[in-house]
Amino acid sequence: MKDLDFGPDKVHAKDFLSNFIDCSGEPKYMRILQEVANRKFRAIQIDLEDLFSYRELDEEFLSRVTENTRRYIGIFADAIDELMPEPTEAFTDDDHDILMTQRSDDGPENMDGPDPHQKMPPEIKRYFEVYIRASSKGRPFTIREVKASYIGQLVRISGIVTRCSDVKPLMQVAVYTCEECGFEIYQEVTARVFMPLFECPSRRCITNRTKGNLILQLRASKFLKFQEAKIQELSEHVPKGHIPRTMTVHFRGELTRKVAPGDVVELSGIFLPIPYTGYRAMRAGLVADTYLEAMSITHHKKRYEEYELVGDEEEQIVRLADDGDIYNKLARSLAPEIYGHEDIKKALLLLLVGAPHRKLKDGMKIRGDLHICLMGDPGVAKSQLLKHIINVAPRGVYTTGKGSSGVGLTAAVQKDPVTNEMVLEGGALVLADMGICAIDEFDKMDELDRTAIHEVMEQQTVSIAKAGITTSLNARTAVLAAANPAWGRYDLRRTPAENINLPPALLSRFDLLWLILDRADMDSDLEMARHVVYVHQNKESPALGFTPLEPSVLRAYISAARRLSPSVPRELEEYIASAYSSIRQEEAKSNAPHSYTTVRTLLSILRISAALARLRFSETVAQSDVDEALRLMQMSKFSLYSDDRQKSGLDAISDIYSILRDEAARTDKLDVSYAHALNWISRKGYSEAQLKECLEEYAALNVWQINPLTFDIRFIDA
Amino acid sequence: MVGLAYDCLANPLGAVRSTFEKAIASGSDPASFDGRDWGAVDLFRHFLFEDDGLTQVPILNSATIRWVQPNTLVRFRGMIQDMLGNEFYVGAYKDGSVWRTNKFTDVPQFPMDTSPDMRLWERRMLYCIPVPGQNSWTESPSEAVMYRSMNSATQQREKRQRLDVEATDNMDCNVSDEGVECSPAKKLKEDGHLQSQESITEGTSSSVIMGPDVNRDSLPCLIKIYDCPESDLKLNEVFEFVGVFTFDPEFKVDKDECDDFTNGFSEDVLVHFPPNKVPRLHCFIHRKLAVHDFLPRSPTLEPKPHLVKEIREALLRHLTAILGNDGVAAHFMLLHLLSTVYSRVETVAVGKLSLNLTCFSKESVPVFGTPLRLAMKNLLPFTQCISLTVDYLNTASLAPRKDYETNRLITGALQLAEGSHLIFDETHLEAGTLNSVGVENARVLKTLMELQKVEYDFKFYKLDMAADVKMLILSEGKSNILPADIVLPFHPSSVGSAEVAAEALEAWRWYLATLRSLPHSIEPEMQKVIENDLVAARQEDRKLGTQDFSRLLTMGRLMSMSFGETSLSLEHWQMVKELERLRKERLK
Repeated sequence: MKDLDFGPDKVHAKDFLSNFIDCSGEPKYMRILQEVANRKFRAIQIDLEDLFSYRELDEEFLSRVTENTRRYIGIFADAIDELMPEPTEAFTDDDHDILMTQRSDDGPENMDGPDPHQKMPPEIKRYFEVYIRASSKGRPFTIREVKASYIGQLVRISGIVTRCSDVKPLMQVAVYTCEECGFEIYQEVTARVFMPLFECPSRRCITNRTKGNLILQLRASKFLKFQEAKIQELSEHVPKGHIPRTMTVHFRGELTRKVAPGDVVELSGIFLPIPYTGYRAMRAGLVADTYLEAMSITHHKKRYEEYELVGDEEEQIVRLADDGDIYNKLARSLAPEIYGHEDIKKALLLLLVGAPHRKLKDGMKIRGDLHICLMGDPGVAKSQLLKHIINVAPRGVYTTGKGSSGVGLTAAVQKDPVTNEMVLEGGALVLADMGICAIDEFDKMDELDRTAIHEVMEQQTVSIAKAGITTSLNARTAVLAAANPAWGRYDLRRTPAENINLPPALLSRFDLLWLILDRADMDSDLEMARHVVYVHQNKESPALGFTPLEPSVLRAYISAARRLSPSVPRELEEYIASAYSSIRQEEAKSNAPHSYTTVRTLLSILRISAALARLRFSETVAQSDVDEALRLMQMSKFSLYSDDRQKSGLDAISDIYSILRDEAARTDKLDVSYAHALNWISRKGYSEAQLKECLEEYAALNVWQINPLTFDIRFIDA
Repeated sequence: MVGLAYDCLANPLGAVRSTFEKAIASGSDPASFDGRDWGAVDLFRHFLFEDDGLTQVPILNSATIRWVQPNTLVRFRGMIQDMLGNEFYVGAYKDGSVWRTNKFTDVPQFPMDTSPDMRLWERRMLYCIPVPGQNSWTESPSEAVMYRSMNSATQQREKRQRLDVEATDNMDCNVSDEGVECSPAKKLKEDGHLQSQESITEGTSSSVIMGPDVNRDSLPCLIKIYDCPESDLKLNEVFEFVGVFTFDPEFKVDKDECDDFTNGFSEDVLVHFPPNKVPRLHCFIHRKLAVHDFLPRSPTLEPKPHLVKEIREALLRHLTAILGNDGVAAHFMLLHLLSTVYSRVETVAVGKLSLNLTCFSKESVPVFGTPLRLAMKNLLPFTQCISLTVDYLNTASLAPRKDYETNRLITGALQLAEGSHLIFDETHLEAGTLNSVGVENARVLKTLMELQKVEYDFKFYKLDMAADVKMLILSEGKSNILPADIVLPFHPSSVGSAEVAAEALEAWRWYLATLRSLPHSIEPEMQKVIENDLVAARQEDRKLGTQDFSRLLTMGRLMSMSFGETSLSLEHWQMVKELERLRKERLK
């Protein structure tokens, strides 16, 4: 009766299936049907997007499909029945096919009248399953947003799978044979429960009044795989002060066994009510349970390499890249609530970006991941920085050096309690493969883990030779460590080597070792007091002075930047080499070196520069990148140097002067351009404001002349 | 209002129906009533608040449920413990040619056929429990008397019996009410949600001196909320719900049938909250309750300066007496009692002031701890005591967790309403090993202490829920499991007696409930003074950090608040500094 209404729609469906041409110019659905006819696979997935882009279709048909999806699955299935091509390849018949041929052979003679139970339902003949997939454009719903008005409609939902039932057979068509007349009787099952037939409804039995006994034929009946699951809202979708909502999902046929508890998925499906039946209907009267009949499953990926830009993110990134100040802007958006520490944030940003991995011809690998160690006094927000970085990174593991699990940081061989077999269990570093591993309390690390970490940080693998298992696991991770100085607080009277309680072999593996000292300084104390008073007075943080970028934008930008693999141009090689050698010389001169400069340092400079080039979306490393890399290395020891200078009685201004004078003497020139001067002093960790101050002060002393327009310096040779 | 055709109290559903019919008669389309009211709620709002009907509405609790008739108007005061999601129901349907509604009821009034004219509407289900740790003085005896006699004592006898069993099962087994013995077998029969409540009481009863409050009302209620924005009702908030009460003592769940349908996922509400155990309330009107709503008489006193000062002095004297004549401790205690989290800036909870009284020993706890506990009970509406032992830490479930088998949030000892007070007695803690549960519990306690947050365990992820709990720790040395804002060595000089007049108690309760909500500001000149003082303090002691600054400012705020003033004066700031100096001296 209702089929009449849907007649035209079936024509629409047939027209769409047979005539739809996808972007590569092929008839997509007809090709799928051929594959199905050849028994290659069962599922026929109809994309609503294809339906949308199909020109000849009216809009109303599309909205009818979204709003009454279940009905239209039937219509599409009917249409497919009519369109199904002949198989072009031979395949072996299974039981089902043999049964089917038998049925069609003795069909005509058994047919006596249009008895609905004796007519073979189309379901039993079908080898395929039809799914209609919602358009993947736009944001999926959260479970909370699916309201009563969506019942019967196709919706797209994101959530986390919390429970899964076993896969069970669900009867789709029950087949009986009659003891008396021998007819096959079919009964279509549409619900979870059905009332079996007991008396043969065939005309022969009725006319003979034999009340033929029906026997259920399990082999002849058609079953469908069926699985029930629960999904729950993702934590970021739960409003403050609420409990995550859950929803029941039914998976049928090919969609079963696709999810496991803990998976973050995006589902499209039909939101349907289950009316209570029987006793409970009387009791509960009015209430209906609802569930989602799944139509498609998409697993969420969490790695940069698989990061897909959604919506306008692409455009946003282009806009950000055009903005000249992107480096500062991104860095400030990391942990915006942590005051100051701008250079540390820049370094952490570069850690997130990383440099490309290099594989030399002889098979040697040079890592691209940057390792950073933050060392500092207690209470300088090290741990908070670590945790924030883990939140921004798509794959990050946070652990402490004293990580409690027996697996520790690297990997362990454990005995499976059930099978008694030895199994490998990856530790934090292995779990963070292709991501970031943040290790807090690095100095308190287990001695065993510390030796293993040497390998992880340079070779990026974890080797295991225990209990008959020898293997090496990948641990391509960037290590971000935080440690306290040897005596809890940094003791300025002792040498840096004594304070930094880590062996040189380990230290040299860090690209940057950042010292954060909590220095007794009136200004910063006042700043802190002001901040606290402000918070108490206004019940909010002081305005940041800028709007930080959303973590999702940050993530998108970084993932876009990571696709590049910048190279160092030949003309820069000399520059880098001379910079490196000057650092080495400086260290040789000093009697209490603050750093260990090795060949690894050179690689570090290259890595940081490459990461900076990636941020600019450039394929080549520029000199400015190298300068910034050197500056960051200098800044990492800044809190120590500022103390040295105090000891040597030099203030910042005179130090800048001596730097500039030395450089001028080295190049044997009297003119120094402003850009050059800025370069040199920033490498030593001074700011532009300090340079300007120095220029003015010494110009007043007639040591040099300053070009009023370009600020270029000319020494007055006396 | 002239000639009401129904009685809002005894037949609220009649009122609902008649307004619905009126609305239909005036030509409204029933479909348009989805998610909005047709006048029924307005009627009740008018009845309750303008005709002063609220006081006539009986409060539902384990005592009154014996005689309150189903399908009448009741109110229920409780904390939202769990949110069960939405329920879809046939909101309106056509019975022949007449439109009927099922709003505000479980069972249709008229037999319902499956007709094509059905409107599916939704309502929200909240599982509410009486506020944990609620003290008996919050329910004034006068209210219980006012009910109209329902003449139902005889017909409800059977029900009473059952309820008594239920009530005692939830409480300490040693206490039997009306002679009903508590049998272990009964306990096993209880449902999961009741067991979880037991775990709290068991936990708290592990200490002999700090047993659970046996008067605690333990009747949960399933509230069904219609048409209101989700953000109105949040977890752990305390509300008063007014609505239609439905309760079915004769209900039995047919086990076999249920199993057929649920297919192993036994999450059905009917199974877990059988109507014969958990009453339903179809809510018309809900309002959020603050602490002063629990004062028996709410005297809308103006906080007059001299009055406030008098009450303050008296309360301080009382606290000093309880604390064995330790004036400094009493001052800190007063500030502690007034503290409340008034804002959250990033992760910092501004306004908390937890107190750790050290120098207690096993011997001195009964002497001073017990009167202190009693005093808290008398002064604050929601109080609880937890005696920390290694065993308790290793076994207790402190943070609530989600049970996916039953789809319920299993409550924990730290699921508390805003403004609750917790005493931790650490003197019984001895050396021992913590297992993984113990380590986790210690971490949860520390987070609550430092950030006023509890991590609810949803297995696949954790959700932070903001809390506002005042915490007092009694310990021998400085507590490391519970790092409090203020650590103060306790120096009693005498054993005080605490005889209090009821009138004074009421004044103090009013004082503590009212003053905490006063506005507060710091004048610019004062800000300068404070900033300089803080910088000077830090120059002297490098160990001071933002937390200490924040603590001093909080104390300043509370100090001026305790005098009923809205802006910090120099005098009060000096008092704070003096208190801090005295405290430092003791720590040496």
